[in-house]
Amino acid sequence: MGATVKTLPRKGASLKERLYLIEIVKGMATTFGHFFRNLLDNRRLYVRHYPEVQPEIPVRWRGRHRLTTHEDGTVKCVACFMCQTNCPANCIQITAGERLDGRTEKMPVKFTIDLLECIYCGYCVEACPLDAIRMDTGIFSVTGDKRSSFVLELSDLLATKGAFAEEDYKKGGA
Amino acid sequence: MADKITLFVNGVEVEVESGKNLIDAVAAAGIEIPHLCYHPALGADGNCRMCLVGIEDGRPPLVPACKTPAQAGMKVLLDAAHIKKIQHDVMEFELINHPIDCPICDQAGECKLQDYYMTYHGQPSRMTVPQVQKSKKLDFGCGVVHDQERCVTCGRCVRFCRQITKTGELGIVNRSDQARVTIFPGRPLNNRYALNVVDLCPVGAMTSRDFRFQQRVWFLKKSPGICHGCSKGCNIVIDHHREKYADDRIYRFRPRLNLQVNGYFICDEGRLSYRRENEGRLTVARIGGQPAAVADALAACRDELQRAQKVVVLLSPSCSLEQMLAAREWAARHGAILSGFSDGYLKPGDGDGYLIQDDKSANRAGLLLLGIDCRRETFLAALAEAQLLINCDNELERSFPLEELQQLLMGIRTILATSHDSPCAATADIAVPVASFSEYDGAVVNCDGILQCFRKAVGKNEPLPDMADFIAALDGTAADRAGLFTALAALIPALAGQSADTVPAQGLKLNENEAAHVSA
Repeated sequence: MGATVKTLPRKGASLKERLYLIEIVKGMATTFGHFFRNLLDNRRLYVRHYPEVQPEIPVRWRGRHRLTTHEDGTVKCVACFMCQTNCPANCIQITAGERLDGRTEKMPVKFTIDLLECIYCGYCVEACPLDAIRMDTGIFSVTGDKRSSFVLELSDLLATKGAFAEEDYKKGGA
Repeated sequence: MADKITLFVNGVEVEVESGKNLIDAVAAAGIEIPHLCYHPALGADGNCRMCLVGIEDGRPPLVPACKTPAQAGMKVLLDAAHIKKIQHDVMEFELINHPIDCPICDQAGECKLQDYYMTYHGQPSRMTVPQVQKSKKLDFGCGVVHDQERCVTCGRCVRFCRQITKTGELGIVNRSDQARVTIFPGRPLNNRYALNVVDLCPVGAMTSRDFRFQQRVWFLKKSPGICHGCSKGCNIVIDHHREKYADDRIYRFRPRLNLQVNGYFICDEGRLSYRRENEGRLTVARIGGQPAAVADALAACRDELQRAQKVVVLLSPSCSLEQMLAAREWAARHGAILSGFSDGYLKPGDGDGYLIQDDKSANRAGLLLLGIDCRRETFLAALAEAQLLINCDNELERSFPLEELQQLLMGIRTILATSHDSPCAATADIAVPVASFSEYDGAVVNCDGILQCFRKAVGKNEPLPDMADFIAALDGTAADRAGLFTALAALIPALAGQSADTVPAQGLKLNENEAAHVSA
């Protein structure tokens, strides 16, 4: 079966178009139309009023990481290094230590994630056997004025709470 | 060499050595029979039942492979359905009360229970009753931490303490699912080889307090090495790892099998000597106590050499043969007196006739082999006339008290090339940092006259010069390592025609008369 050939007429070949100025005026009319309409009433603007209006982040969206805690506030992470092992960007660094709060034996004493290196793939969350690391903070914009401000420490990771209800998060396939 | 016999495994003809049990015999042919309690150094116990194999036309038809000598014509069944069922069921049995706390277990990654679960079982637990609770994190002494829940009561640790160290601190008490390994009340592990139970334990029941939670084992790079803690020269595995943004660091030493030298074990002191490779190192050169670049320090060394007429070169008994030879050749060229005086490395009465030796240096036999004078009188006589002492990592503070040493070196300029910071390095006129034994290639001769070659294991971010480089740099040249080994091979008949790569892994036994030959 041969390919169907459809010949399209070439635009811009007529005299009116080749005069150029007429087309320019038509184009500017569209531009100024939008300009004055938005100037008079910007509620009908076609773009989002960021940052006043934030985008809706779905539950399964992979945002900035956090470390979860038990009900009594103790860290769930047992420093098994599964996330660090699984991380393709090698952005997680853990130092393990003795755990003294009565739950198991091991916990992280240092847990750093370098967000400049993180590729937000979510493999750490998948690898975690204890649901201790999640990417459900809904934080999509991370800003800072120096490199070190992008390196999250254990306390930063524990301070952030999840942005979604537990049942919604579980429904998301976690 | 033992005789070869042929037997059949799963119907395939295999040639194995006679006089061994089935596990060892077919393992040499690359066929693994799973086992937990058997260890070649501890003999067969037959309690784990993991190694049960079928013998076709045999009586009895089922035997534990660890207790069955390999016989010619034997028809061993490994992949039959009923053998697989046994392996599967034994694994299920072992895992009934196992806590499966692999995420926090240091053994994860080198655990037999994990490996066998993946190979022979791979099913979720069918248990519905609560697991038996036992004690965890028990301090057994000597840096051994025991977890009774993880234990499979194979008894390797118990047999080690009874058969190898003959101290018998450990025992198994109670029966059935209450059975547990424990110490006698108030009598913890107390022997100099105790940490070997950590390696022996096929699961994570015995862990080392020193290595506890330090690193996951799958990150560690495993390089072969030779322990320099004493003159036995035990074969070790150097487990090291370079963390992100950090330097290459050693996390532990483990024994490496060499039946000619240390067998399956090493002493605790040697095992923990890895710390010395990480800590207390001299990393910057010093001129007159002030930090300086290595190149500047070497230039300062050459200036000192220009001024000095009488030079004494003092070698460490832990230097490699290549380094000793480089120093010997250098001393001969410059008319310097060479000494290997190192009485301070001897700790009489410390040896135990098993692995630990009195001599805490790695290559004293090498000093003697190269005919280097080690006598105290000659060293002191040479020092009395000397203007410059070039000390190649010999820790003189081991041989003399500090005050005496200061008096001895009064009026003598000292150049110290050392891997470790010490009082001597602080007072030396010039101190040059050099690589330690985990960071260079070399050959050492142990107390039994066995020559062993080892390779560089650790690659530091800023590599320090080898001692041979330092000696060559005194002349402003670079060390010719291949040339040094060739020169060694010319001196030592056993090394003739060998290169550092072809020296057998278990070492070369030098003849009795070889030392005489070299020094002549």
